[in-house]
Amino acid sequence: MPLLILLTALLKFISIIVAGIFAGLLGSLTGLGGGTVLVPVLTLFYGIPFIFAAGASLISTIATSAGSASAYVKEKIANIKIGVGLEVATTTGAIVGSITLAYINHVGLIWTVYVIFGAVLLGSLVPTIQRTAYEVPPLKKPDWTTRIFQLKGTYHDQRLKKDVDYIGIRWWLGEIIMFFAGFVSGLLGIGSGALKVVGMDWAMNLPLKVTTTTSNFMIGITAATSSSIYWFEGFIQPFIAAATAVGVIIGAYFGAKILVKITNRNIRWIFFWILLFLGIDMVLKGLYIGDIFTIISLFYQFFIAVGIATFALFGLIHYFSSKSKKRGETKT
Amino acid sequence: MTQWTFENVVSRILKVGVILTISLILIGSAFIFIHDGANGYPLSKICDISGNTSDQLNSSSLAPSNIISGIAHLDGAYFITLGLWILVFTPISVVAVSLAEFIRKRNGRYIIMSSIVLFNLFFAMLVIAKYIK
Repeated sequence: MPLLILLTALLKFISIIVAGIFAGLLGSLTGLGGGTVLVPVLTLFYGIPFIFAAGASLISTIATSAGSASAYVKEKIANIKIGVGLEVATTTGAIVGSITLAYINHVGLIWTVYVIFGAVLLGSLVPTIQRTAYEVPPLKKPDWTTRIFQLKGTYHDQRLKKDVDYIGIRWWLGEIIMFFAGFVSGLLGIGSGALKVVGMDWAMNLPLKVTTTTSNFMIGITAATSSSIYWFEGFIQPFIAAATAVGVIIGAYFGAKILVKITNRNIRWIFFWILLFLGIDMVLKGLYIGDIFTIISLFYQFFIAVGIATFALFGLIHYFSSKSKKRGETKT
Repeated sequence: MTQWTFENVVSRILKVGVILTISLILIGSAFIFIHDGANGYPLSKICDISGNTSDQLNSSSLAPSNIISGIAHLDGAYFITLGLWILVFTPISVVAVSLAEFIRKRNGRYIIMSSIVLFNLFFAMLVIAKYIK
């Protein structure tokens, strides 16, 4: 019955697009990017092998990066010069990362990547909670790298309604962090925007707007490096990659529209819970298929991950509300 | 009128790259459904996504050198292949344009750095990809 096959295939294609929309939406609302959500969703709920999920994710990462960077570059918020300079490290890291993934896949240790992915996902939630309150970083003295690598720029801040001049420092530290960001990107098939933001925001003291938009611009170049290695290794399944790319772009587009309208900060906790759950479930699944922790079946792992995530979330909410009370802040 | 500043060119490349890619991906997906499969794989096999990776249609059997003949045969997988390679070359062209801009401005340090980035991109594509096979 060819019609039945056609319908099942079409339904599957649409269901992957839906996963892509969800990942793109959540990825842009949390600032973590589509891939960080997409890979767990595809592997945990669709049963797609890790390498195909990572391949599809990497492709959608380039597409969303290019799509959103197009606007930021035109408005001159993203600093192309600083971005390209840091790409020296990210592209090198991406090469090492994707070779590592290819090696892990050849020797049949793919379960370790699940565990690493879960750990990276949980780790990248830390900067998400402690999202810096200030728009423009405290002024710091330029160092020798500021002059040598011409780490300065100006952008127009729409909310502050003025041109902001900025300088960057500690270029070398930025490069080191960028190498790891590239490595993680190549190993896991994600953009690793969270690490790139740490590199520019924390290490180089660049303004948050410049950091996030430049990171967005850089993600595409990093992912393009790994993609060709992924391609020849056979990590990209066209049917999955096509559906996710379309879905993630749609999701990211609407995510950007919704983001400006969200005023209720508590909604962030819902996103946070989903990401916690995905991270924990990835670790558990990795330990399960690696024959390390097999007492609990995959079915029950789902509920255990839900439980741990909920417990952790309430703990964090409690911690943060008591901390802000201590400082005597009025909660917004 | 559009001013051909460096930023505008980069922005335009990114936008055109994404639009081309998405169009080719959609056309390719449509052909996979219309032709009931692609690159010798039946549709029922292609959409069996949770199975083994080695006997599944994947990028290692889609050589970029076969794109032209694949598209001539209206093979959906090769439309997607072309779209994805255009997507990979989109950021690469941005780096190339940046290199040209740094050469124009005679910015020696950044000429070197953008050349390294370009080298890495092509090194991954032409050398490593073949070596790890």
